Amino acid sequence: MCNFGSIDNKARSAYADRDSPVKMTPFVGGENMLNRGFLIFSFCLLVVGCSSEDGSAVKIGFIGPLTGGVSANGIGGRNSVDLAIKLANADVTKQYKYQLVALDDECKPNIGIQVATKAAADSSILGAVAHYCSAVAVGTVDVFHKFAMPMIVWGAVLPKITYGNDYPEVHRVNGTMINQNDVAAKFMVDLGYKTWAIIHDTTDYGKGHDKYFTESLEKYGGIVLGRFGVTADQQDFNAELTKIKALEPDVIYFGGITPIGVRVRTQMDRLNIPAIFQGTSGIISDAYIEGAGTLAEGTLAFREGDSAERLPGGKMFLAEYDRNNYSSPPEAYGPFAFAAANLLIDAIESEGPDRKKITSYLNKVRNYNSVIGKITFDENGQNMVPLITRFVVQDGKWKIWEMSEYADNIRSLNRQNPK
Amino acid sequence: MRNVILRVKERFVSISVIFVTAIFLTVFLLVEDELSFTVLMLVGGGLFYFVKRRDCFKEVIVFARQSRYGFLICIFLALLTVLIILRNEHFALFMIASVALYSTVCFGLTIQLGYAGLTNFAGAAFFGVGGYAIAVLSSENFPDILSVLTGGFMAALVGSVLILPILRTRGHYAALVTIAFALLFKTFLELNDTLGGPQGLKISSMNMFGWDFGKSFFGGSFYLNYVLFSLLVMVSIFTLTRLLEKSWIGLHWDALRIDEISSASFGINISSWKILAFTLGNFFIGLSGALYAKMLGHIAPTNFTFGDSLILISIVILGGIGNPWGVIPAAFLIIVLPEKLQFIQEYRLLLFALLVILVLLYRPDGLFKKALRSFYRGWGKV
Repeated sequence: MCNFGSIDNKARSAYADRDSPVKMTPFVGGENMLNRGFLIFSFCLLVVGCSSEDGSAVKIGFIGPLTGGVSANGIGGRNSVDLAIKLANADVTKQYKYQLVALDDECKPNIGIQVATKAAADSSILGAVAHYCSAVAVGTVDVFHKFAMPMIVWGAVLPKITYGNDYPEVHRVNGTMINQNDVAAKFMVDLGYKTWAIIHDTTDYGKGHDKYFTESLEKYGGIVLGRFGVTADQQDFNAELTKIKALEPDVIYFGGITPIGVRVRTQMDRLNIPAIFQGTSGIISDAYIEGAGTLAEGTLAFREGDSAERLPGGKMFLAEYDRNNYSSPPEAYGPFAFAAANLLIDAIESEGPDRKKITSYLNKVRNYNSVIGKITFDENGQNMVPLITRFVVQDGKWKIWEMSEYADNIRSLNRQNPK
Repeated sequence: MRNVILRVKERFVSISVIFVTAIFLTVFLLVEDELSFTVLMLVGGGLFYFVKRRDCFKEVIVFARQSRYGFLICIFLALLTVLIILRNEHFALFMIASVALYSTVCFGLTIQLGYAGLTNFAGAAFFGVGGYAIAVLSSENFPDILSVLTGGFMAALVGSVLILPILRTRGHYAALVTIAFALLFKTFLELNDTLGGPQGLKISSMNMFGWDFGKSFFGGSFYLNYVLFSLLVMVSIFTLTRLLEKSWIGLHWDALRIDEISSASFGINISSWKILAFTLGNFFIGLSGALYAKMLGHIAPTNFTFGDSLILISIVILGGIGNPWGVIPAAFLIIVLPEKLQFIQEYRLLLFALLVILVLLYRPDGLFKKALRSFYRGWGKV
């Protein structure tokens, strides 16, 4: 029995007896006080709801995988965008104060669409630096278009994201897997390797890499001996690797991301496969080196854009990143996220807080200087990055090929057959 | 008229509890930042304690038992208020529609797990079958209302493949069969290029009898269309589930779940009742999967992993196995809470898991335990 005075036992027993009609005490007299308390509580609720608006700052969204298997990259990207915003806020010449809204897409399309809707439907968020995972980005571009929100992809590499639509809102600072694989295939053939075995995961990322790498390889005269699709959460690769061992390829090409890259590399060693391990942009992360340990030595991988270490702006980025004591590294795509955030901030500075104007500003970006080199968007919003950087692991670090001891022939990629 | 006023006065406490809860949930859907969220949780906790101390929840239950129509009208009005307040909030409406559709899925699972005792770990797979069916059909310009139904039928049809192994196995082994199917389904989609492969398929927005879901609804958000339709579907399927439970069909399922051998010896055909529960459950799951896919506008295999099936099962368990009433608040908790914890970013799933464990620690039978079947009013009273 709900009784706003004292709860007496008689009333309780009346409740327990369900067949007896419940007698209600009408609200009169002193009970009104408590009743009022009840209403005040609900008013508090409304006040909380209304007070959450903060009108002074301009908001920028970040979307990436902050939890799950590729969270290291997502957190690196998030920190980099955070850094760009901190630097902009410290700069007195900037007209606006910026605020970061970081959202987790879990690398899943449905969650991605959910958070993209959240960001895009919130009119106080002016633009977004969004997506590391291609499958998510393919799904969310429609949402950004529907709500007319300018967005810049910072990590997803599937060509379809920019080329599969004509949405003016969609831009991308990183290159696509087409350029990446073309350079990779030419480079490897020039080094003198002839035969490949391909392991790729069956996500769009892995399948795309398989497709574009094979196309380029055929162009340059390499031969693919075998092709193996694996699921993105597969643990054991003995079956595939045993077959590969029999094929005796010069190189194992791996199209996939860090967690299974580490597994393939370590299991290759267990089976004594002497082939060279060639990866894609998906394994360029410190997590790969930590996971594979000394076996990571000599692993090759390719990524679009110039390397941050070689550019003056890039050095500044890395130094500032260190200075801010983020708990995890920026990872491979941090500089791209940083560049995208700066681009968005510059657009807001120049055009004011208006989504449409920001979009048209972004579409006109040509030869914009950034930490990843010059950015020029084509009519699809795709950055036409001419440069692909080649990386090799040397002494537990991803080194730019030209700066490594492998390029100078001090070390050799060809490992001695352990047996 | 006077009569109505008198009645409202009589039930004033129950009505205010319902409306305050509705307003609390509305604000909950709207808050974004850390501070407001914490304050809201504290205020909510205080309110909860206040209401509980004074036994008001019991009174709401008494209200629901004694005047069912009054109670339903109350809920309806509260819901209407929420929707009017949120009419322009795209994201909040999107979340409400998601909760409604996930609840509908879990009514299907309730029939399977809660009534007939069949553990289905492939919920997300059947959800996906519905989604993919509608994706293919809408690219063929098939009428949308029929596509939604076909989504349900396809899920039931695909489910029939599993009937034989499920009938031949029991308990954990039957559960294993469904796990295998869930894993198989996702891999199949990733490798199948005609169904879009790993990138998935795009789906046009819903349009039936000239009602265009992509357009704004009476000046509100276009998501309002989806919310209304999903709620309609949810309420119909909820009613159907409850009617089934109360009927002799539910009685057969109860017997089957509690003891297969003795119910067989009483002449209950175990196989046919199991098939009915499994197929009907999958039909509901596929139906809401189709609607959900229409609302998202894009589906991909990674939406339908084994992990997502576990999320569906956890909604059923958290709500109290076999109690469709419990499913709705549980779905709200499981779907909206991780979303609301976005502000703590990478730690959100950690905190979310802790909260779920805490709930189950204090309510091991789920939020609302299934009550014993009452055959007539006052059943079980000495």
